[in-house]
Amino acid sequence: MAEVLIEKLTKSYDGTVKVLDGVDLHIAQGELVFLLGPSGCGKSTLLRILAGLVTADSGSISFDGRNIMSLPPEKRRAAMVFQNYALWPHLNVFENVAFGLRMEKTPRKEIEKKVMESLEQVQMERYARSAVTQLSGGQQQRVALARALAVEPALLLLDEPLSNLDANLRDTMRREIKRICTERKLTALYVTHDRREALSMADRAGVMHKGKLAQIGTPDEIYNHPADSFTARFLGDVNGLPCGGGIRPERLRISEEKGKLSARLLERAFFGDSCEWLFEVPGAGKVLVRELGAPARTIGKEYFLDYDEAFLIPAPESDDEK
Amino acid sequence: MRSQTFLRYLLLGGVLLFLGVFLLLPIGTVLGVGCDLQLIAELFRNRIYVEGLWNSFAIALCTTGMVFVISLGLALLYDRYDFPGKSFANTALLIPMVLPPFVGALGFKQILGYHGVINALLGHLGIAPVDFLSGSGVFWAVCFIEALHLFPICYLNLVTALGNIDPAMTEAAANLGASPWQRFLKVRLPLMRSGILAGCSITLIWSFTELGTPLMFGFTRTTAVQVFNGLTELESNPIPYALVVIMLAVSALLYLVAKLALKSAPAASGGKGIVNANSTELRSWRKFLPGSAFGVVTLLAGLPHIALICCAFSTRFSGTVFPENFTFENFELALSNALVLPSIANSLKYSFLAMFIACAAGLLVALAAVRWRLKGSGIADLLAMLPLAVPGVVFAFGFLGMSVKFSWASLLFDPVNNPVWLLSIAYAVRRIPYVVRAVSSGLEQTPEELENAARNFGAGPFRTLVKVTLPLVTANLIVGGLFAFSFSMLEVSDSLILAQKQEFFPITKALYELSQILGYGTGAASAFGVWAMFFLGATLCAGALLLGKKIGAVFKF
Repeated sequence: MAEVLIEKLTKSYDGTVKVLDGVDLHIAQGELVFLLGPSGCGKSTLLRILAGLVTADSGSISFDGRNIMSLPPEKRRAAMVFQNYALWPHLNVFENVAFGLRMEKTPRKEIEKKVMESLEQVQMERYARSAVTQLSGGQQQRVALARALAVEPALLLLDEPLSNLDANLRDTMRREIKRICTERKLTALYVTHDRREALSMADRAGVMHKGKLAQIGTPDEIYNHPADSFTARFLGDVNGLPCGGGIRPERLRISEEKGKLSARLLERAFFGDSCEWLFEVPGAGKVLVRELGAPARTIGKEYFLDYDEAFLIPAPESDDEK
Repeated sequence: MRSQTFLRYLLLGGVLLFLGVFLLLPIGTVLGVGCDLQLIAELFRNRIYVEGLWNSFAIALCTTGMVFVISLGLALLYDRYDFPGKSFANTALLIPMVLPPFVGALGFKQILGYHGVINALLGHLGIAPVDFLSGSGVFWAVCFIEALHLFPICYLNLVTALGNIDPAMTEAAANLGASPWQRFLKVRLPLMRSGILAGCSITLIWSFTELGTPLMFGFTRTTAVQVFNGLTELESNPIPYALVVIMLAVSALLYLVAKLALKSAPAASGGKGIVNANSTELRSWRKFLPGSAFGVVTLLAGLPHIALICCAFSTRFSGTVFPENFTFENFELALSNALVLPSIANSLKYSFLAMFIACAAGLLVALAAVRWRLKGSGIADLLAMLPLAVPGVVFAFGFLGMSVKFSWASLLFDPVNNPVWLLSIAYAVRRIPYVVRAVSSGLEQTPEELENAARNFGAGPFRTLVKVTLPLVTANLIVGGLFAFSFSMLEVSDSLILAQKQEFFPITKALYELSQILGYGTGAASAFGVWAMFFLGATLCAGALLLGKKIGAVFKF
């Protein structure tokens, strides 16, 4: 597993549309780093540049101190799990997983061993001789992961690998991928636009905006202490407060006796395990409060909202910032 | 990366050079001689040549009209209704394609000739025989035979176009009060425009330049036949060059008009090709009606083939309703004829070479245009499709002209003493469009991500091509190759014009020569035709099995 250093990486299309604008990123050996951001922010382009499938305009990438910018894709050892899996339909599961090893001219017995180990790790060993076209989406995703694991890559790249799966399967696969990355001590870069995925799995996560890395840190850091209003709002809901700061809905407490803000209850939305309350706060407009459980409250009644100032974050700005 | 790009450009340069020398140069040679205003003026002063042009044009229009009516009717039935044997009926329609129309003409003469089946039947009923193939009858016979041969190409285009129309579009029209007729006229027909244009323009060009069918019927007043007949006195009368130039100009004009019209044709699809999403299942006896229509057309189209088979297996099939005296004698006669066996060996040799050349050039053009997206690949793609718009007679003439004009060409292309490369390359150039379309369609349907994945897992550009790209488009390449091979085996224009010595005759020229022999000639030619028919039939079945419904993509431009 390699230590990865990306410096001042830029990429533009047609010479005008800047997709990456001087991105710097360091990924430590064995670290699972997530890149988050809206569509078109450049996160997939960064991944494809690392894989060598797209050429950067400038900047450098090094694996363990060795510059790999001039290496063709096949020499980089940056195995990728593609968004649509990209499994070859003319090869069966075993041959798909063995492909990279065959390219490396690995001895036959070792190929057999490594392929089966990788398939076992994703619990697909009994499908080794199946045609990939007969597998479900979740099974194909596992095979794509096994294919990447089999070559023991210097860097594992995951391009929104769970986006085509249903919600339940996604939860299972999240835990699986996290387990495998930890067990194998993989250096991995995972691209997604699903903040829950990033916050629940990442060692560190970066938020990209307009081709730049807006902020990178542990999930706790970027969620609770976002550097700017874009990061704050991309990672979760933010209420603007009369004091000028912002606060997450779950950091507000509702009280009938006292609090920093007086508020009139407008609406209630029930989610089973939790509840969301929408208040009208003079000077701040509509304010959302999220709390576990669902205590009885009266719509239209005046309440108080309270919060700890340690949890204040940048307030949402104009729509241009989105 | 740089060496890889350089190699790709080198390969593209090679293909462009090949197309330049063997596609543009023959056309240029013909234009060089034929583009003589005096010659063209002389042509238009000669009543016989003008009549030939007019007849060719009339044949093209009538054939295309017939093809359009037959294929539109069948395509609408196929799209609109579910009926028993639908899939079989659809495949059976390909039958007319298993025989070059000029061999079909041989069978057709057995039915409508003065001593044919119909007159024998009329004689039994006490009615005097009618000479169907005299006067204007022969004109309609030529149109009919060509239409029966060509309608499957138009039909395949129309079925695809109909399948691509989003059912929501006609539903919306119905919802706003349009009757079924209005829905057809105002919604479906305009949205089918691209399919109609593609199918009809191929038919128009093909029938305008067809040589074999009118030649077989003895209908000599058509431009293609006049060009063929003028070959022997080319030294003293260069008018055929001017005729070829006119043919080329008309074909190119038709092609360009179709291309322009195709560009402005509306997109029929709503994103997904929902074939038969609106099919209606007919009840009781009505459910057999669409199948019957398919059956009648297939039977009509198959009649010349049936007549040919009957003729091949009987000693007497003249002046009788049914063939008499079952025999293999005709096959023995055909095989013992000095023309036949060498012609089979020659055709196999020319066609194998043609197939390999067409596959190599077609694959490279498709890769350069669809995958590598090299500068200049658009030109290569355009050039590779050009043979669809250029009549076979033009190429044949061009190659002939090149062998006279250029000393290097006379070494490589000696039509008298060594026409192997001449015929192979002439066959190949005209079949490249089928390979390009087949492979391009395969590449377009294969996600590029699969090749990216191979690069990502350690395969270099060449290994990616061999291990991933080629296996994924193998079926398409095989189909393109099969078409190139089988159409080369039964090629008419180049074979009749370029093979001048008996020892180099390919099958079609031998067939033509056999059919001209009085006495046993017709029977032996029929037996030979039956062999050719089964050969092309097997090829098309293999193609249909490999490509399924996508087989229609091969006949597009």
